[in-house]
Amino acid sequence: MAEKKAKYPTEPLKCWEEAKKIRLDYYKNYAYAHDTGGIRWAGGAWSFDAIPAGLGNDVYPITSEPYSASCAFNKDQSIKYLEATEKAGYARDLCAYMRNYWGSILLNDFVFTHQFPDEFKGVKGFPKPDFIWQDHICCSHAKWYQVVSELEGGIPNFTIDVAAGPEAAINDRMIDYLVGQMHDGIEWLEKVTGRKYNDNLLIKAVLNECRATSTWAEICCYNRNIPAPLEEKSMYSLYVLGTLHKSSQVVADFYEKLRDEVKHRAKNGIAAVPNEQCRVMTDTQPPWGFLKIFRYLENKYGCVSIGSLYTFALIGAWEVQEDGTWGPRKTPQQKKITIKDRDTALRVLAEWNLRKPEWQHFYSPHLKTDMMVRIAKEWKLHGVMLHYNRGCEGLSVGIAENRLGIQAAGFPVFIFEGNMGDEREFDEVRTTARMDAFMESLGIKPLQ
Amino acid sequence: MVQQFIDWQANRHDYAKAWKKKNKGKVFGYFCTYMPEEVLYAAGVLPVRILGSHEPQNVTEPHIFAMFCPFCRDCLAQGLQGRYDYLDGIGIAQSCLHIRQAYTSWTKHIPREFSYYLNMPHKVQSKRAYPFLRGEIEDFVKAVEKWTGKKITDAKLKEAITVYNNNRRLMRELYELRKADKPPITGTEAMYITMAMQMTDKVEHSKALERLIKDLKKKKVERETGARLMVVGSENDDTKFLNMVESCGSTIVVDDHCTGSRYFWNDVKDGKDTLQTIADRYIERPPCPTKDWEERKRLPHILKLAKDWKAQGAILVQQKFCDPHELDMVALKKFLVANGIPCLQLELDVTVPIGQFKIRVEAFLEILRGEELF
Amino acid sequence: MITAGIDMGAKNIKVIILEDGTVKGKALTPAGLDAKVALETAYGAALKDAKVTKADIKHITATGSGREFVDFANDNVSDVTSAARGAVHFYPNAKTVVDVGAEEGRGIRCDKNGKVMDFAVNEKCAAGAGAFTEAMARALELKLEELGPLSLKSTKAVPMNAQCAVFAESEVVSLVHAKTPKADISKAIHDAIADRIISMVRKVGFEDDIVLIGGVAKNVGFVAAMKRGLNKDIKIPTDPEFVSALGAALEAADKVKAGGK
Repeated sequence: MAEKKAKYPTEPLKCWEEAKKIRLDYYKNYAYAHDTGGIRWAGGAWSFDAIPAGLGNDVYPITSEPYSASCAFNKDQSIKYLEATEKAGYARDLCAYMRNYWGSILLNDFVFTHQFPDEFKGVKGFPKPDFIWQDHICCSHAKWYQVVSELEGGIPNFTIDVAAGPEAAINDRMIDYLVGQMHDGIEWLEKVTGRKYNDNLLIKAVLNECRATSTWAEICCYNRNIPAPLEEKSMYSLYVLGTLHKSSQVVADFYEKLRDEVKHRAKNGIAAVPNEQCRVMTDTQPPWGFLKIFRYLENKYGCVSIGSLYTFALIGAWEVQEDGTWGPRKTPQQKKITIKDRDTALRVLAEWNLRKPEWQHFYSPHLKTDMMVRIAKEWKLHGVMLHYNRGCEGLSVGIAENRLGIQAAGFPVFIFEGNMGDEREFDEVRTTARMDAFMESLGIKPLQ
Repeated sequence: MVQQFIDWQANRHDYAKAWKKKNKGKVFGYFCTYMPEEVLYAAGVLPVRILGSHEPQNVTEPHIFAMFCPFCRDCLAQGLQGRYDYLDGIGIAQSCLHIRQAYTSWTKHIPREFSYYLNMPHKVQSKRAYPFLRGEIEDFVKAVEKWTGKKITDAKLKEAITVYNNNRRLMRELYELRKADKPPITGTEAMYITMAMQMTDKVEHSKALERLIKDLKKKKVERETGARLMVVGSENDDTKFLNMVESCGSTIVVDDHCTGSRYFWNDVKDGKDTLQTIADRYIERPPCPTKDWEERKRLPHILKLAKDWKAQGAILVQQKFCDPHELDMVALKKFLVANGIPCLQLELDVTVPIGQFKIRVEAFLEILRGEELF
Repeated sequence: MITAGIDMGAKNIKVIILEDGTVKGKALTPAGLDAKVALETAYGAALKDAKVTKADIKHITATGSGREFVDFANDNVSDVTSAARGAVHFYPNAKTVVDVGAEEGRGIRCDKNGKVMDFAVNEKCAAGAGAFTEAMARALELKLEELGPLSLKSTKAVPMNAQCAVFAESEVVSLVHAKTPKADISKAIHDAIADRIISMVRKVGFEDDIVLIGGVAKNVGFVAAMKRGLNKDIKIPTDPEFVSALGAALEAADKVKAGGK
């Protein structure tokens, strides 16, 4: 068979191994926290992790969604977790992440002991957090950990409500609402841990978060390049670090390193997909057990997914730039603003998060449509693939209107139903057949 | 006796249209009972709750992904089919995700002259929610003033509060009558009355309710009560279903659900700061599961209702795919059963398989009757 | 120039032999347990019907859910592409194609050349395919072919859940127990399926001409329900189950004309 002549040069990411190590260390730090007198806590990926950082340098979180995605990725374990949750009486249409996580606790099984048995040798069961530090974004979030606390026989739980938005409506009162809860939360943390709070650590953490999330946006911007230096499947393994610990120096520093490498790739035309001939974006979480569909598109059609609003903005901090295009949000550091005290740090943190692009569609899907159309235009896309994700209501809310809006803006849209965390609800064969139909309708021929 | 209420909810659109014509006023449709109706009422607006019609439809799929609850799709279908064309304004108080879609699709495809999204806080258990909601309601007042061109004075607000509190008080009085060994109305009838409450001018509703209560107090109850049941759950206005349950030899004596007692259970209290008193009421009302955390306050409230109304069993209903109620279901069931209240769990859709449900209800009643013997 | 289109469906294999735009021969064989044998049988039968041999066929294009299985085809196209192409062949003004088969229902918007512009497929919660009709026929203790004609005799509309097949099936059982006339139940079933299909196709929008294809298009009850639900004219080609195979054969002819193989 004739060798496919590649259109563009390609090479693997140099940062890749470091990213994997950061992730592994993160979970090890959590699991072994008590061995070194440290404390560990659990909460959602959007939790204000900068705040518990003020309790010391040995405070280790575990965030629920990435852990659950790791469960879903391990299909054999995942089905056990899901069935355990169902046996306990919970409905199958609940958030798939949550069901994996609960199942992991019900079976007292830490998923990483399967993939990395040596690294997690000493870990027996699911390491119980010392406290829960959550935020409430979708109907499930606060309740997720309410149940976790009950499953674990009671864990101190503080959940912050971020029900304020959308961005255009942000005012002092909304920020007061969040900041007020944060102040209450800090008092609570001191009581629960017996530690004295350190405002300097809080300020450092807030600045790290701004830096990390802004830099991630910068990285995504390089994908405007033709050919795209990154493809979405790999981006998942990179953005995840922000969902684990966006306020940590390790993650912020890593993203700057990654940004430099991606910048170099973009400048030198180094492609993620060597035969890129079609550019798309997706949306909502992918079916984690079936990321091979990305490779299917890349290998058969030279079709690269440059990312999605989800990948860009779940942790990315964006704003409209001076030239009217979308780009990284200027950090306080870049604006030469110094944060001197706790209250200011919390206000910066609250506003930074309320302005998250991925938070806006909770107020109106049409806001999301605008952002998606912007990406389609600025990243020069041929079409959009929407994952009608039965496993996550928070990110699927309004998706049907997104489809209509993106089509109205002139971009072909392909939809496929599935579930990010429940493989029983994803039909790989049917989905790839429909992808073929979509490619045909776009006039994209298979690579020869 | 209950016919007026049955007619009101059956002819909800005619009622609203007639009200518009007579009062030359505006009608505002809302989706979630956390909407502070008093503000609208104070501006001379008729607030009506948008509910579905329990008919299969084929118009919402382009707008709402089918995995979201049937109720939100049923509500949107009413709008898309033109049944609510008379609405001048539409709004929602931040609630669950599903119903939000009915609102956001509505504002895009069948927009009204006024639409409003109120940031009702979810952490009602935090003291921070109080000033926050007060501020949100203040903004809402300004927006309604702008829309109607009418000033919402403190006096008007207090008047509206009086009307609403009076109506709520009467409903609770009605519910008190159901504590009797032989309740003078069925759960189905109470449902009609509650639905009508969400679709009419409260002054009118109160008048009819007062008359009814008077008559019920004198009524000689012939109907066999049978098993005393409680209905707990998400949105539920399926009178056909409730009627079936009661026709099996039972009476629904009390409830805690979205279209039931949660709507009217508590009053706006007196206070110097009127807007704050309104905010307090919505924060402190029996919560929807989305607002019941970190502590579980719903459970003791539901149990108290069950005990006070001497319910022997509970039917836990939820709209198919309703996450908030599914999240509470396990804890709720466990708690009720541990406290001597057996439960039957059912999922509702726009239409339900009445025959199959009847079999399950009958079996449940047999269990309850069996327990009576011991 | 003679080409062949093979629609390797989940239940049935359909073959069309096409010569210069006209159908020369066709065959339908149930896929059964041994799909390989059934495929050879179907292809052989179509060739015989067309009075041609394997060597006469310039290009074979496969389609359908099992198209990758047809190893002797020159290439394949998705059933979305072939359905649109075939529909436009029969109705040049076709803009919306509704394809309802055993397992799946599809709504396709196409342009005047049969090029696909948008498509939607039945998702998880769906009582929208032929398999459901079969299950319902069994619940009513009727033969599948009887179900459709019986529905036309209905005198009363009975509402039935149009989203959940499980719910709908439960409702049928309830209606049978309540001694509802079978004709009325049958009509309700067809209305429910039609509702489901209409709901799905609304995602791409209905624009005239609306063409209905696929095996279920032969069910008169379903067709009547679709017309009722849409209140529009619906065009149905003769042999609606062969339209995709025809579309594939036309795609094959295009390939030959373009010089490729």
